[in-house]
Amino acid sequence: MKAPKSSLLDSSVLDSLVALVKRAPRGLPPVGITPHTIAWTENKWRLLRFSPARRRYATPILLVPSLINRWYVLDLGPQRSFIEWLVAQGHEVLCIDWGTPGDEDRYLTWDDIGGRYLGRAVRLAAADTGDVHVLGYCLGGTLATAYVAAFPEHVASLTALAAPIDFAHGGILTTWTRTPTFEVGSVLEACGNIPHALMQASFRMLRPTLHVAKLVALLDRARDDEFLDGFLATERWGNDNVSFPGACYERYIEELYRDNRLVAGTFAVCGRSARLPAITCPVLAVAFADDHIVPVASAQPLIDLVGSRDKQLVVDRGGHVGAVVSRKAADRLWPAMQTFWAERD
Amino acid sequence: MIWEIWKQGFTAWEQATAQYMEKVLNNTSILGSAGALLTAAMKTKAATDKMMTTWWSTIGLPTRRDQERALHKLNQLESRLYDLEERSAQPQPRA
Repeated sequence: MKAPKSSLLDSSVLDSLVALVKRAPRGLPPVGITPHTIAWTENKWRLLRFSPARRRYATPILLVPSLINRWYVLDLGPQRSFIEWLVAQGHEVLCIDWGTPGDEDRYLTWDDIGGRYLGRAVRLAAADTGDVHVLGYCLGGTLATAYVAAFPEHVASLTALAAPIDFAHGGILTTWTRTPTFEVGSVLEACGNIPHALMQASFRMLRPTLHVAKLVALLDRARDDEFLDGFLATERWGNDNVSFPGACYERYIEELYRDNRLVAGTFAVCGRSARLPAITCPVLAVAFADDHIVPVASAQPLIDLVGSRDKQLVVDRGGHVGAVVSRKAADRLWPAMQTFWAERD
Repeated sequence: MIWEIWKQGFTAWEQATAQYMEKVLNNTSILGSAGALLTAAMKTKAATDKMMTTWWSTIGLPTRRDQERALHKLNQLESRLYDLEERSAQPQPRA
């Protein structure tokens, strides 16, 4: 009697491989396809407007994504899109697309991006109703927080989603950027804008085994169509990166990562002091327990430092991206944020 | 079955390796050397670019940097015009 064949490639792995081969001709899933209009264009950035068929809430929501990633992380295709879900709930949503900086944008400063451009987006979003809910994700959350601290006008509430605020607790990224031999000026002089490949290399070093772990997860679950589509959409986004405008990056590293000025109360936007206690609108801070890019200790202090009486902290499980775009996010995090806005409409 | 056992082993290895790498990458001597290497490479590139630019400008042509500055100024000008348009559209207080 022959012993049954046992192999590393058991049926579930084989099924996954077959699913991957079958999936290949269809290519990558479409992203950023929730219907929208272009409300504004200036230099490389655009303001996208997503209007619901039937509007249930008066105050629109302005989404401020990170400068170094594409906006469509918040619109990763049908059933995975935070924007699509918000619009279905009856919210008017506006989202900034920062675009791709050209070589000449090496001179763009924090004040240009986080003051002039973001300010215009806030005023345009609030044009009809007077106020707007502002949500900033990752570096977009830092931009939004500094802006709201300096220019609180027209802001109904601030949501900081996995946003680094206290750079003394920024984890390994803080250690790296505070290394004395790392001269930001020399990178700017040589490259102008900070190449996305350089930044991605540093993010990969945060968890060097992540790519192998992803491959194993893919082999394990690729037979699940929904998982595969979500995985490919997220990977598509993850590999579509943007370089960081040079002058803005210099200030980000020198004044925030190195001097921690937002927490110290010495940061300014367009000449106006950006002190966190000056924020008095309702504030929601969201942090993720397994986030190694923005640790909870870096995101959480916003709640302690703002002057608002109406403030909430949500610490959820998950990582920096997965916790925002996963099925679990659609079940827990998205409704929690939507409730926060709905109750303050 | 074997896949599940292998996966458990892989997860344990992945977590242990990630923790070890985090310690290594937090080491100040490693970071110091990496930072110095990066800075040296960037300074070399900047020096090479400067040499090329100097040569290029000797024949009276605008350098890449000149063009970047001009384009940036144009973009700034466009933004200032939008600022002015916005301000002029706002209702003015009566004197």
